[in-house]
Amino acid sequence: MLAYLQNIAVLFAINAILAMALNFIMGYAGIFSLAQAVFFGIGAYTAGYIALNVSDSLLLSMATAMGISAVLSMALALPALRVRGEYFVAASLGLQMIGVTIFSEWKSVTGGLGGLVGVPPPVIFGYTLTSTGEFLALATVILLAILSITALLVRGSFGRSLMALRDSESAAQAYGKNVNTVKTLSVAVSAALASLGGVIYAFYMSFVNVEVFTLEMSILLMAMVIIGGTGTLLGPVVGAAIVMALPAALTYLPFIPPGELGTIQQIIYGSAMVLLMMFRPGGLVGGRSKGKTA
Amino acid sequence: MRSHEPAQKVLLEIRSLSKHFGGLQAIADVNLDLPSGVITTLVGPNGAGKTTIFNLVTGHLSASSGTIHWLGESLAGQAPWRIARKGIARTFQDLRLFSHMTVEENVQTVMERSSWLWQRKTPEMAAKLEQVLQETGLIHKRDQRAVDLAYAERKFLSLARIMASDSFLWLLDEPASGLDPRSFDRFVELLKTYAQRGVTICIIEHNLDIVIRLSDTVAFLDQGRILAQGTSDEILKDPHLAAIYFGDR
Repeated sequence: MLAYLQNIAVLFAINAILAMALNFIMGYAGIFSLAQAVFFGIGAYTAGYIALNVSDSLLLSMATAMGISAVLSMALALPALRVRGEYFVAASLGLQMIGVTIFSEWKSVTGGLGGLVGVPPPVIFGYTLTSTGEFLALATVILLAILSITALLVRGSFGRSLMALRDSESAAQAYGKNVNTVKTLSVAVSAALASLGGVIYAFYMSFVNVEVFTLEMSILLMAMVIIGGTGTLLGPVVGAAIVMALPAALTYLPFIPPGELGTIQQIIYGSAMVLLMMFRPGGLVGGRSKGKTA
Repeated sequence: MRSHEPAQKVLLEIRSLSKHFGGLQAIADVNLDLPSGVITTLVGPNGAGKTTIFNLVTGHLSASSGTIHWLGESLAGQAPWRIARKGIARTFQDLRLFSHMTVEENVQTVMERSSWLWQRKTPEMAAKLEQVLQETGLIHKRDQRAVDLAYAERKFLSLARIMASDSFLWLLDEPASGLDPRSFDRFVELLKTYAQRGVTICIIEHNLDIVIRLSDTVAFLDQGRILAQGTSDEILKDPHLAAIYFGDR
């Protein structure tokens, strides 16, 4: 039972990291990306590839994954500089499709549809992480670090710049905000943070496969942010907890036949989203009004 | 109102400025100088091209032809944020406040020009923030979101942002429209105070009271052209211009 709960907790922490990274651009800068799973994937594939071919160092994998994701985030930043709203959502959808295609077709690096198998456990300061408990500790430390970094950024001048261009890009420019730089930096930070979720995932599962990095994952992450509260610090964490806990909680309801679990789960997700947007558009943490800041 | 001294240095020089949107000529051959310390008001009927001039000066639109020089430097092709950092700030007719940010955040963020991840809040910035909030009467509303403010308070917040911006040319687009008489008087006094402190102001305004009380010089626009320029007395008492303004021509 403890191992089961620890497993859920590790997966929750990974999802919370990804949701927080998405919220950084979605909640604060108003950049609604449907390509977050791509940066999750880049982190996972980078860690898997390095561990299998270069070194099992956790820090090396993390640094490389963050660097690669930040550089590749320019592919997301470019459309973000030109279009907003639904136009950018469509552009990010295209990027998500390209990402999945590369993950499944670039066999020499990603292993193709078969993925990367047998990723060795990571080593940090000479210590090898193997147990679920150790991974839980790692994921928790990284989650808390990202929470702190995000809090520092969004409560400082950069966060105010992000929110200013979210609320009125033209006014932000009229008061001297270099919107292109702010957007590019925010997307790079978000992608780099998301890649850390991928690194933990690759080492924890010791297996990386394209099926996890699809559009469905990007939508699920967006749902976590919206349910928890966009533009709030703890909203994505709460959203991730609810989305992760729901399937586990449903298995304990005796009147739901195990064969119907998936269907009922989808109905509950859907209904929860509709009701939330109707009565609490700011999300569970964000409160009743839309777009409240943390 | 101060006297118009011809020797004053011209900050902004607009020459033969034109802008057309497809077949629509929004601005045609406009020449306008904004001398240092002078309050200039642009008046004219709706659609005369007043806001288009602001959009061209601040880089939100690019000119079809003509030049705009700021302290002798051409502003052609420069991004709005670069122009803003040179000392030109503007307000918008529809205010464009940072609606979901607090009053304090709205003012603070215009003082933070760095695009990098972190900018330290200096004691000077903190002092200026307090001063601006105090002067605009928003000090007790500092933690309220802009979207939750009353209309007059939003107008003052729009002014507070430009006051905090350290710009020395203010382009104000109908800044006092819709204000109640008491707020209006406070608003005008604030503008006078900042003009006396050396800020150059250009105002688009339909409210003739503000034109009379504040303007050193008035430019009358119609159909994208400046038809006349002079003191408020000269412009407002011209029967031909009055007929155009009130639609009686």
